[in-house]
Amino acid sequence: MIKNIIINGLYSNNATFKQMLGLCPTLAVTTSAVNALGMGLATTAVLTGSNLSISFIARYIPKNVRIPAYIVIIACFVTIIDQMMKANFYSLHKVLGIFIPLIVVNCIVLGRAEAFASKNNPVYSLVDGLSVGIGFTISLFILGSFREIIGSGTFFNMPVMLSSYDPLLIAVMPPGAFLFLGFLFACKQFIDSRIKGEK
Amino acid sequence: MEHLLLLFVGAALVNNIVLSRFLGICPFMGVSKSTETAVGMSLSVAFVMTVSAVVSFLIDKYILAPLSLEYLRTIVFILIIASLVQFVEMVIEKTLPELYSGLGIYLPLITTNCAVLGVALLNVQFKYSFIEMLIFSFGTAAGFGLALILFAGLRERISYSAVPKYFQGMPIVFIMAGILSLAFMGFSGMVK
Amino acid sequence: MNSFFKSVFTITIITVLAGIMLTLSYFFTKDKIAYQERQEILNAFKSILPYHNNEPDKEYEIINNQKIFIAKDNGTITGYAVNVINTQGYGGAISILTGTDSNGVVSGVAVIYHSETPGLGDKITSKSFLDLFKGLTINDKIAVKKDGGTIEQFSGATISPRAVAAGVKDSLKVINGLVGK
Repeated sequence: MIKNIIINGLYSNNATFKQMLGLCPTLAVTTSAVNALGMGLATTAVLTGSNLSISFIARYIPKNVRIPAYIVIIACFVTIIDQMMKANFYSLHKVLGIFIPLIVVNCIVLGRAEAFASKNNPVYSLVDGLSVGIGFTISLFILGSFREIIGSGTFFNMPVMLSSYDPLLIAVMPPGAFLFLGFLFACKQFIDSRIKGEK
Repeated sequence: MEHLLLLFVGAALVNNIVLSRFLGICPFMGVSKSTETAVGMSLSVAFVMTVSAVVSFLIDKYILAPLSLEYLRTIVFILIIASLVQFVEMVIEKTLPELYSGLGIYLPLITTNCAVLGVALLNVQFKYSFIEMLIFSFGTAAGFGLALILFAGLRERISYSAVPKYFQGMPIVFIMAGILSLAFMGFSGMVK
Repeated sequence: MNSFFKSVFTITIITVLAGIMLTLSYFFTKDKIAYQERQEILNAFKSILPYHNNEPDKEYEIINNQKIFIAKDNGTITGYAVNVINTQGYGGAISILTGTDSNGVVSGVAVIYHSETPGLGDKITSKSFLDLFKGLTINDKIAVKKDGGTIEQFSGATISPRAVAAGVKDSLKVINGLVGK
């Protein structure tokens, strides 16, 4: 069971590539690998916390008010993470800006609360939160790394390209986000069809 | 006056909420399959976005800021939006049943539309005055509608085209969005 | 009715608990956040003002509701700084910190926050752009070239540099009120 949850979260039901959830932060903050990693980990923290607490209390919440109740719990975790990041990672917090409070409306978090945590025990919910979060982080990181290397010629702010490389600026500009994600999706479909073809 | 016009153009076209700020991508991808639904969604969002921006602006200015409870902002704003959506849904259902049957299905989706919460938070972050806030919220809503309806038109067209095998489905949709975003960047040179 | 009461009760309990948690976390983090925010502004002062060993955010004068921060080296005034917020950009407010030496000549400009378009308008934070303001005074025409000034705008963006230039100009006017004395 736990193994299944992990595989589902990380790959076969990957939030970005399979379910197309949480696309706003995916496109917005992936201008560099560091930002992508920071955003992914912040979301993972919120997701794990909300999954865990919702799985504890879900059975006490009347059905008709469960969505508002989940939103309050999620908003609470988001604000705590927001304050902690501002206190400890000030410059990263500034770059991510309003996308940290916007984790509240990230469909991944509410989606996992409704679809998984409200029906499963705390241990499973914790594992689910962690693996879905890490799966999301990995997707962000891949996109962020590509965009940073091609658009700025750096990786984690270290130059990685030849000095004669003229950065393809569009990769870090807004249209680049859509284009790169589109190409990554195409790559995923290509890889999936190859895996199927070999079987 | 010129300043307010610039603000409107900036919010609607140059820094388009979907194509440049990346808010509200979920409905942008989700309900853009036909122009008809896109129009319905745009109208509902425009209404909720403007009203919730006004309400959250006033609550922030006259309740949260004086009591220095800014740290409750996220939780208060999302509650405002959720209850507003619920309220609007009830009112429309009772008074305008025809409109409700058209828009009803989109309303619950708006609660988790990050563009609505995003605008409420941006208004505070940008320290706008009341009138600037109004123009900015309305301009953003107009920009959202414009992008959504244009994109729905594009998607209707692409469904008749021969797309390379691995680009079928979502990949081509994203690449199209990228090209639309590129086109919108042209607006940044518009104001000389 | 009973189920209605139960729903309201549950939501109230959850909201109150969330409020308590947030207040606790606020009190645990607020000092550190205040420290970080102050550190940011002190670093900005270091980068734009002539050498100083005081803390300019604590020594200021107020002219026309505008704080003028004063940099001192062992008590001698070495420069002034003014922080203005210009809302004429495309993406909302741009916070600009302008520093001058004791004669009102610009020693440096910094953009504290902005949300101009990535890749275009956000070049206003680049050193090469901000350095264009160095050495200018209130008597120079501080505007982008398109408006007949001396500041080179970059391709594809006029509005953002124009907003910064306006901010610097406003700051110099304020500082000049003090330098003249």
